[in-house]
Amino acid sequence: MEQRIDKYVLPNGMVLLGEPMAGVESVAFDIMLPAGVAWMPAGCSGAANVISDWVFRGAGSRDSHKLGDALDGLGLHRSSSIGSSHMYLGAALESSNLAQALALYGDVILHPHLSDEQFEPARGLIVEELHGLDDEPRQKVMIELRRRFYPDPLGRSTVGEIDDLQSLTAVKARELAGRHLNSPRSIFSVAGKYDFDAVCRQLESLFGRQQAESLSPLAVGLRGPKYTHIPHEGAQVHIGLMTPTARFMDKGYYDARAAVSVLSGGMSSRLFTEVREKRGLCYAVGAKYHSLKEAAGIACYAGTTPDKAQETLDVIIGEFNRLAQGIEEQELQRAKVGLKSALIMQSESSSSRSGSIGSDYYMLGRVRTLDEIKSRIEARTVDSVLDFLARNPFRDFTVVTIGPKEVRVG
Amino acid sequence: MMEFHQKTLSNGLVLIGEVNPAAKSAAVGFFVRAGARDETLQINGVSHFLEHMLFKGTERLNAFEVNEAFDSRGAQFNAFTSEEQTVFYAAVLPEYLIDITGLWAELMRPALRDDDFTIEKNVIKEEIAMYQDTPAFDVMDRCRSLHFGEHPCGRSVLGTVETIDVLTAGQMREYFSNRYAPNNMVVACTGNFDWDRLVVVVEAASGRWPAQSVGRTLTDFAGTKQSAQAAKPNLKREHICLMNTGVSAQDPRRFAASLLSLVVGDDYGSRYYWELVDKALVEEASMHFGPMDGAGIFYNYFCCGTDNGARVMDIVNGIFRDLARGGIIEEELIKARNKVLSALVIKNEVPMGRLVDLGFHWMYLGEYRSIEQDVESVKAVTVDQVNSLIRDLDLNSYTQYVLAPTTGA
Repeated sequence: MEQRIDKYVLPNGMVLLGEPMAGVESVAFDIMLPAGVAWMPAGCSGAANVISDWVFRGAGSRDSHKLGDALDGLGLHRSSSIGSSHMYLGAALESSNLAQALALYGDVILHPHLSDEQFEPARGLIVEELHGLDDEPRQKVMIELRRRFYPDPLGRSTVGEIDDLQSLTAVKARELAGRHLNSPRSIFSVAGKYDFDAVCRQLESLFGRQQAESLSPLAVGLRGPKYTHIPHEGAQVHIGLMTPTARFMDKGYYDARAAVSVLSGGMSSRLFTEVREKRGLCYAVGAKYHSLKEAAGIACYAGTTPDKAQETLDVIIGEFNRLAQGIEEQELQRAKVGLKSALIMQSESSSSRSGSIGSDYYMLGRVRTLDEIKSRIEARTVDSVLDFLARNPFRDFTVVTIGPKEVRVG
Repeated sequence: MMEFHQKTLSNGLVLIGEVNPAAKSAAVGFFVRAGARDETLQINGVSHFLEHMLFKGTERLNAFEVNEAFDSRGAQFNAFTSEEQTVFYAAVLPEYLIDITGLWAELMRPALRDDDFTIEKNVIKEEIAMYQDTPAFDVMDRCRSLHFGEHPCGRSVLGTVETIDVLTAGQMREYFSNRYAPNNMVVACTGNFDWDRLVVVVEAASGRWPAQSVGRTLTDFAGTKQSAQAAKPNLKREHICLMNTGVSAQDPRRFAASLLSLVVGDDYGSRYYWELVDKALVEEASMHFGPMDGAGIFYNYFCCGTDNGARVMDIVNGIFRDLARGGIIEEELIKARNKVLSALVIKNEVPMGRLVDLGFHWMYLGEYRSIEQDVESVKAVTVDQVNSLIRDLDLNSYTQYVLAPTTGA
């Protein structure tokens, strides 16, 4: 089937996107609300997370239990998350229940009760989540890494800070919810089996009356320290490091993706080969591309026992640096095949497509077709990637370690 | 529409496939009946270590060539080992499926070289260390050992640093020759592929493997129902794992058991959710059904602050008592059923998702079950069946393991 992207813009500016998929009975949708952690005022980190729980504790004509029962009754699989720029509310379900699910999400976003009595457990749950991170050093190290790598407030912890959470009041959280949820700057996306006209009519009647708010642009501050060690009496040293690269909308984006894939795409990639296969330093080692609208980086994780931590870090940084010195044709071919295969396989999942078209639109103002992405990947050459690396060398590493032993950086 | 095929080679190797010509990808898996329960205590961890060693190549291919062979075809490939099996799998674009299947078949007769064994031992020990820093996993592993006691299902999949340190390549070769027999594995394939070509490529690579007679003795086990705890200096929270007796993967009541676990401990809308998560007493509370070969468990996990542990356990015991007294109600069953059915639809739309069910059904039941048959079995479960299961199982008696911070830390 020829790929089709549906698009409709409500009179108030809210964008609705869709991608129909042949042969599926499921549908997935995502609503990107401009309520990410970077948009929360200073001293209110964690508010977005609290709000994303609080809105499900009663909305429209239903109290918390009835709303939960109604969502569960549709067999809907919820996905809520907080990012730097957005709060993501989404779900995957059987397509026959889509209209009922959208009506419920309309209530959650536009008519949440946000009652005082439900504020405390909503906040309490986020405080629990934050404390739980202390026992999850693998996750915590990447949260601490992004916080220091991106200029404040872009890299803020999406969970929140304990002091901010403890001082957050229902009144303040309600004010923030009112300002950030009800916005025509939201992006709606749907993929799978759906009727786009019906979806548009329903969403227009739900969201069409919201008016655009005036918003001052984000004031971006400084990046954090180059190296931070957080003591933890665990079995391993958990190492996170990140270096700047081209953003999603930059000219060098596809070269950056190819470079990351050569470095850490499959099991024949440089990091896996040098760190794990040849030296047996780690079980888990890998690097991923990560982009916000304002900045982007390559984030690497490795976990290793204390005596091997220094060697692990040195080998990893050595591999980042070695990339610009040369790439073999076959390495690049494998990287390209890997990127293309992953793209096609992800396109079989309605959840994955719905998420992708929404984030494409936010980043680029349009949705890329799979063919466009494929041809951009295919156009990469060893020269184009090396040229990119010469102009955008990996340097300026931010490093965070959690564990029983510190490392030396630089 | 899906079309099912099956063929047994003369040496006992079973091939199964479910063809979906509309899919954009295909997935293949080699399912081997070799897990921690098939080990002796002396060689504990060998199944999982052996899984790693299969990636190190054959007499013809070294580890780097294996990795390049997969990556040059854009395969998303990996393997996992459990108490009961080792599964090697790959999802690929249709044009690469035959190549990748041939590669896996070749790898099923590994070289098991001494120098690869020595290097990989370090990686295994790093994996053990990583899971020690993952308390949700650690407490589950400890609770499983406590629950099964002397029963072989209590063996740790990873083994311990001690068992791995003393394990020899010779012991691994012997274990391999006893478990990776053609009649002890199943090759399964899903998605968009050509069945006849699949048979040809598997037969070419494995038709000459000699037939062996390898099996597994099954003994049912209700669990020790003991209680234990340990303190670790790096922890801040209390991690609680409970294991109740469940039903086996062959038991017709497994559908009722699966629905029961959602009613009690799904992420949203379950009894645990409303009593514990909604009230912010825990960060996480879940119950999962773990059907196994001839035995079964429910495993429950809770993560909370140290001052809440006792209260959480009071509430959980109350939930178990309420279930024993009053059972579940129709509304709860309907919600759980809708969740299971939509999860089935979503998972099976992707060949890699479908592969796991297809392979496990054959491993446990020796039969093909279509998605429609599973849907019908889920729909047929009644409240009375779930409640009768609750009466049979006695949820109030369980094995418990608690991992907590060292006091005064």
